[in-house]
Formats: sequence, structure tokens, C-alpha cells
Amino acid sequence: MTPLLTTAVAVALLLATPAHAQNSARQEPPPQPSASSTKPFLAIQEVKSPGGITAWLVEDHTLPIISLTFSFKEAGSARDPRDRQGLARMVSNTLDEGAGNLDSQAFQKALSDHSISLSFSANRDDLVGSLKTLTRHQDKAFDLLHLALTQPRFDQEAIDRMRAANISRIRSSMTEPEWIAARFLNDLSYGDHPYALNSGGTITSLTAISRDDLAGFVSNNLSRNRLLIGATGNITPEKLALVLDQVFSALPATSATQTLKDTSIDHLGQTYLYAKDIPQSIIQMVQPGLDIKDPDYYAAYVMNYILGASGFGSRLTEEIREKRGLTYGIYSSIFDMDHTNGFSVGLSTENKNVAEALRLIRTEIKKMQDHPVSAQELNEAQSYIVGALPLSFSSTAAISSHVLGLQQDEWPMDYYDHFPARIRAVTAADIQRVARRLLTPDRMLTVIVGQPEGVETQPLPTTLPNVE
Amino acid sequence: MVYKDAMKIFCHLCAVIILLTLAPYPAGAQDRAAEKVYHAESFTLKNGMEVVVIPNHRAPVVTHMIWYKVGAADEPRGLSGMAHYLEHLLFKGTPTLAPGEYSKRIRALGGNDNAFTSNDYTAFFESIAVEHLETVMKMQADRMMNTNPPPADFTSEQKVVLEERRQRTENDPKGFFTEQLKALLFINHPYGIPVIGWEHEVGALAWPEIKSFYQQHYGPNNAILVISGDMTAARLRPLAEKYYGELTPIALPARNWTSVPPMIAQPQLTLHHAYIKQPLFLRIYRAPSLPQSRNEGHALSLLTEILNGGSATRLYKSIVVEQKLATSISFDYDGLKISDGAIWISASPAENISLDTLEKAIDNELRKLIREGVTEQELAEAKIRMQDSAAFARDSLSGPAMTVGQALAVGLTLDDAEYWPRDIEAVTSTQVQAAATTYLNPDQIDKRPYISGYLMPEKKPEASPDSTIMKPEQP
Repeated sequence: MTPLLTTAVAVALLLATPAHAQNSARQEPPPQPSASSTKPFLAIQEVKSPGGITAWLVEDHTLPIISLTFSFKEAGSARDPRDRQGLARMVSNTLDEGAGNLDSQAFQKALSDHSISLSFSANRDDLVGSLKTLTRHQDKAFDLLHLALTQPRFDQEAIDRMRAANISRIRSSMTEPEWIAARFLNDLSYGDHPYALNSGGTITSLTAISRDDLAGFVSNNLSRNRLLIGATGNITPEKLALVLDQVFSALPATSATQTLKDTSIDHLGQTYLYAKDIPQSIIQMVQPGLDIKDPDYYAAYVMNYILGASGFGSRLTEEIREKRGLTYGIYSSIFDMDHTNGFSVGLSTENKNVAEALRLIRTEIKKMQDHPVSAQELNEAQSYIVGALPLSFSSTAAISSHVLGLQQDEWPMDYYDHFPARIRAVTAADIQRVARRLLTPDRMLTVIVGQPEGVETQPLPTTLPNVE
Repeated sequence: MVYKDAMKIFCHLCAVIILLTLAPYPAGAQDRAAEKVYHAESFTLKNGMEVVVIPNHRAPVVTHMIWYKVGAADEPRGLSGMAHYLEHLLFKGTPTLAPGEYSKRIRALGGNDNAFTSNDYTAFFESIAVEHLETVMKMQADRMMNTNPPPADFTSEQKVVLEERRQRTENDPKGFFTEQLKALLFINHPYGIPVIGWEHEVGALAWPEIKSFYQQHYGPNNAILVISGDMTAARLRPLAEKYYGELTPIALPARNWTSVPPMIAQPQLTLHHAYIKQPLFLRIYRAPSLPQSRNEGHALSLLTEILNGGSATRLYKSIVVEQKLATSISFDYDGLKISDGAIWISASPAENISLDTLEKAIDNELRKLIREGVTEQELAEAKIRMQDSAAFARDSLSGPAMTVGQALAVGLTLDDAEYWPRDIEAVTSTQVQAAATTYLNPDQIDKRPYISGYLMPEKKPEASPDSTIMKPEQP
């Protein structure tokens, strides 16, 4: 519920992995310099249970903590029926609201009495779960996870309570201009494709979701053939093998998934306005990007870092914030989901500065296409991307999430060992080439919320798409 | 989940909004309640600068933090926002470092950096490979003493700060409303002034007055260096002496802050706003901070955990699960302040439930708590949950530096941070009940003033109670 960005870059181990685990917006791949070829950046082991369930494990006995992060492929919100938008989200909210013979209060109390963190979330593509426990409570933790996955109760009281909380969240979000902009950007980008739907549900669709919908979702999606698991911490491979069977073996072996088409961002070259009486306009821009398996991905990654992903030092921040004071923050990112990908830019600026900010963004993007980046810029970007890698392997949970991310993206275990070389191999010419190939500064979809001055826009309807 | 709103801090860059979400300082398991949490080492440089090292050798990286014992509460009257603006200006250059270069160099070394300002302190931090720590210290020492932004950079950064304020406040009715609530709760107290500053005052700040503030407060003897990660005191000491130890101490002004006078009326604020679709109930009490009263502060921390330590604890169970009056509720205690702490209650009413009904129900819970106290079982369970958080707290590179630094910056000691589990263990149910009676009583306005806030949708003529479901308003 709260948007927190922790700074806590925490402790990484000698292991590590990247991972965009749950987020579909993957803007942060890279790994680190592997000093010697013998010592991998992340010491991942594949653990196979007697029952045939596989997990990737990074063993680390520094602290008495175990973290398990897992996903069910293609069980995300994009598969929600149109009249049940928010179903995957509701499942993620109610899986930990009672299971087996424990009702909601008993289940939650069992978690908190043992200091166990268990949470589920749904992104557009996948359903993701995460469990963190102290070693001394691991048996209880695995038992509760097993119950949640295999015998969720979905008591009406809990369903109604989570539904009410979600509707309340939606009404609360309706105040936020960033959220409003995102609703329209989504809707305009993806049109009839399910990615256009609201993964958080609409007030109407949430109201329609029944216990049968939730139970049906579980039996149709939570199966072993769609399961990926990352584990980290104070657990041996032998013990983990037993745990995997204990927790997951009762799930059905297979389930069928609904096929989705690929899609691309629509309404390119159009600028839309949702008029709102606020002093500062929110601007969100998007255009097609590239696949993470594209040979140009690393060049695009470095290019995006230099252009706008790095915060301080990025060209967009330099020109728009540092030199002119037009914004508190401007970022660009590249993102990749199962069926689409994109490049986006976002900022907020006082209404009277919108035209200038838009002009500067276009100028900077064109500059990236027209001129090679300097050797110094390139070198500094590469140094950061490679050097900062360990900082994102900061905690037990972060590592297991990265280990899951590798599997979700179908990278090999030694991905991070090669990542630095791939980043270092990017040249200024590569960056210019990928900027020309990819970026279309005059053909982006732009949504503005506020009262911008001096910009030609098309009006958006007052009713938010997929909200009520 | 518990402390999510307790600490809103203003940062140099919006990417990092730090809400210190852990309990003040995490603790150790119950059976280890007497053990240290961090095993930190400390020493003091000859110029008075305090140094703390929290070793953590999992990876060859460190978080380096400098905490200055100056914040928004130290600003001269009429110059609000100065401390936070100054924090931004520390990125704007010295005679030997061009504006913006600081962060760029950190980035080029594979590090991340940022800064934040609160009422009581201003902190700067970098997370980076340990091999580059010396470079960080050299640059940080330089900007402690030699910050001097060129006029053009001073002006552009002022615009940035105003954009930051718009983003957090003018664009957000809830942010704006909260600012007003605090202003009323902390009448005549510097905590009533927003850290980011009032818009008209921030917009008028000039470098000479900020420079004077900088020279008065930024010096080695007003700073605490905290490093967590792959470092030890023995290895750090020569570096600290080389880069910080040679700096000349400054003459520090006393920090005499004005305080809240007695109030006899219960302040209550209501905002009807066209952009609000979900009503919200807020209440803030003043309460002792941990430095003001460690015993009461620890009792209030435990009380918070008992009331709001998950969905199986009192407030959520009663108000959300059983009575169905709200869809969410939170109870936060912000005790890491030099002067008065605060307790925040917030709740989103369920559909068709008025804020008044919700407030009465919350008051009844508080009265029950005051009348009957907490059970020994509730107390014991809350202690275990809090103490278990110790192991999790160490599962982080920067977290321990953040937590220990904050404790020291508000006037607690390193032992306070290290032995927090022991202090929590010592709290009795009688103390918890006494803290509730003294500080949360809704029926003693004259003794314990609090403020309630009702944030509501635009008034509709003749609105029937359930009209919002059938006809949601259009923005």
C-alpha cells in the first residue's frame, strides 16, 4: 500500500544475481565483475527434490534467515477475465487469509507469532510469492506456506474484507495524478490487449469476484509445471530438497494456460491531456522497446543509463533538473514483459514549464541518435553498471528474488559471470546505432495530467478507464 | 507495515524516499535479549567528531554516512526550508569540485549516494565498494567545510526544491492536509513547520543567510560518521583521522527550541476536496520521544506493536475484522526525535461508515485499553516479534547505519541502540497501560491535547449516505 523505496541497499554476499523478479518493468539487469574465473559471482546450485521439484539455491549461513521466492508462470493479471479484473490480485491478497483449519485470524497470528513474512503479489504475467523466516521457525513457515498454496480457505469474511480494502485503495489512488496518468497510458498503449486492463481491478469487477472465482484461479494456475523457485540463506541443499516436496508436491502436476498475443504500444505520436487543477503536471511517455534477449539489449541498457536511468549524471537529469530546475526528478526506463516491451520517460514539472520540458526531452533523445556518447560517459556508465551490481544483492530476500528472476528470464546460472563483459563490450557506435533503431522521439505516446501551458493536446474523457 | 508513515524525510533525489520502517532499533531474540544487536565499535576524533563502525563482512562493500546534528528545527524564524535546501546545495560544488560532480564521481565508481533532512538532523550517505571508501571520505570532508554553489546553480536548485514541494504537497491534498495538521499540533514548536519549508519562504531564501547557517552548523564536531559493512574501527581510524580529523571544529550554537503552550480546545481539521474519493481519518498526539523518556518511549513502542503489529493484533482485529468500520488502520509511534515524539493513527472508513462513527470506535478501543490494560500474553508476543526483528535488521548493508545513526543523531547513545532488546524486555504491562493512560486518553483534552483530521470528498448537496457507491464522482 505504501510506495516505499528503501535505500537499504544491503548486504550482498559473494553470490548474487539480478532479477527483475516480480516487476515487469525491468530496468536493472547487470551483474558484477567476477574477479577470478573460478569464483562465480553467485554460487547457485540446482536442487532437485525426490519428487522432482527444482529450485535454484544460494546457500548462505551468515545469518539465521531463509528466504524463498517463487512464481507461477502466466498466472498474472493479464489473464483475468475482463469482468473479473483484479482476480489475480485478489487471490494474492487472500491466499494468506486462512488455510487448512486455520481461519484468517489464526493464520495471521501463526505468521506473526513466528515472525514469518509471507506475501503474494500478481504482476501482469506471473503470480509471485515470497517467504522469509528465521531458521528456528522454518518448519512452521514451510507448513504455513504449504497450507496457503494447497488448502486456502477463501472464507467469505476474508474475501469481503480484502475486496473492501482494494476498493478503498482504488478510491484513494484516484486522488493521485501519477496513478491517473498510468491508467490512461495503459489503456491507450494496449487497447484491446489484456495488458490494458487494470491489474488492481475495477470497483465493479472486484465487486463481482466470488469465492468460486478465487478457488477456480488456484486450481487452474497453481501447478508444478508453471512453478519456478529461488531460495537463499541458512539452508542446505539436502534440507531444501525435502522442503520442496513438503511445500509444493501436493500441487497438481500441470495446468493449461491461456495464450496471449504479443502487442505493441499504440497511439504513437499522440499527446493526451487529462485536465486537473493542480500546479504541477505529470508527464508520462512511452514507445516500443526491445526484448531482453535482443542482441542489442546491453547497448540499449547502457544507452538508457546515460540518457535517463541513472538519476544524477544522466543527460535528462542534467539538462532538465540540474541546469534548469524544471523538475525534482526525471527518469527513463526500458521494460520488458512476456508480450510487449517498451521505453518510457516520466517526470513532473510546473504547468508553465511543460512545453519546454517536452522539447528538451526530444532534444536529448535526438542527440543520442545524432552523436556518439563520449568515451568518458561510456566508461563511467559501464563502471557504474558493473561496479554497483553487488549493491543490489543486498539482503537474503533480494538474492532469492534475483535467483528467481534469472529463471523467469530463462538465463543460465552463470549469467552474472558474463554480464560485466557484455556491458564492457558495448561501444559508443553500438549505443548510437541502438538509439537510432529504437528511439522515436517524435512518435511517443504522451499522457499529461495537470494544466500544462503551451502544449497541443487531445482531451481525455473525464471517466478513468478500467477504474470504476 | 507498522511504522510506514512515521518518518517522512526529504531527500535530495526523489528516487529515495526513506521511510525507516523498522522499529527504532531492531532487537535480538528473546533469549538473547541481553546481547548487543550490532556489535558496533566507536571512537572520537580529536576535533570532537564521533565515529561508529558496524562491521558486516558478507561482501566487500560499505555504507558511509555523515549525520549532522542540525535540521529544520534549527532554522531561524521565517527561513523555513533552509536546512533541506542546504542539503541539496551540498551537491552543488566546492572550489575544487564542480556542481553535480559529487554524485557523478560516486556513480562512476559504482556507488549510490543521496541525502535526507529531518526536523532534527541532516544525513548524507554513499553505498560503494570498500576500495573506494577513501575517495568518498575525501570528497565528503571537502563539502563539509567548503560548499559554495555558483549563483546559477543556487537558483536552479531552488526551483528543484519548489518542484519537490509541489510534488509532495500542493499536488497532493493528503500531503497538504497533513502539513496543516502538524502545524496545529505543534503550535509554537519548530516541528510544526514543514521540513521542506513553506512555499513562500523557501522561494525567498538567499545564499548569504543559508551560508551563515551552514557555517554555524556544519563542522566535524557537529557530525557523526557511521559506517556499516566491510570495515573495522582499526582499519577505519587512520582514514578518519586523515580526512575528518584534520578539520577545524566550529563554535556550535545552543539548540534552544520553543515549545508547545497549554491548549484548552480540541483542534479538529476537516478538508473537503474535489479530488478526494476515499475519506480518511487521521489523529496525531504529542508524546514523549525516546530521548525525552526512555522508559515511556519503550512502553509506547511496545504498545504500538500490541495495537498494530499485524492483522492479528488489536486495532485491525477489532476495527477492521470484527466491527467492519474501516478497510485499513494504522498506529505509529515516532519516538526518535530530540524534542516531542508523536503518535499517528490513521484509518480508511469502510463504505457508508462516517468518520465520526469510526473515530468513536477507535476512541472506545483506546478507553478499553486504558481501563483494562494489555494482557501478559499480548505483551510477551509483542516482545518476541520486536526482538526477532534483530536478526532481520542485520540482513542489510545500509540498514544498520541508518538506524544507529538516527539514534545517535537524536541524542540516544550507542548502548541504547545496542541493548534495545534488553530494554524492551524490561517493559511491564503496567508501564504500557500507564503510557496509554497518560498519552492516549481521548477524554482528557486539557491534559493531553491531540488533533483529529477528517479528509473527505467534496460536499454534495443532499448526499444520502450510500450515494457514493451508486454514483461515484468524476474527477
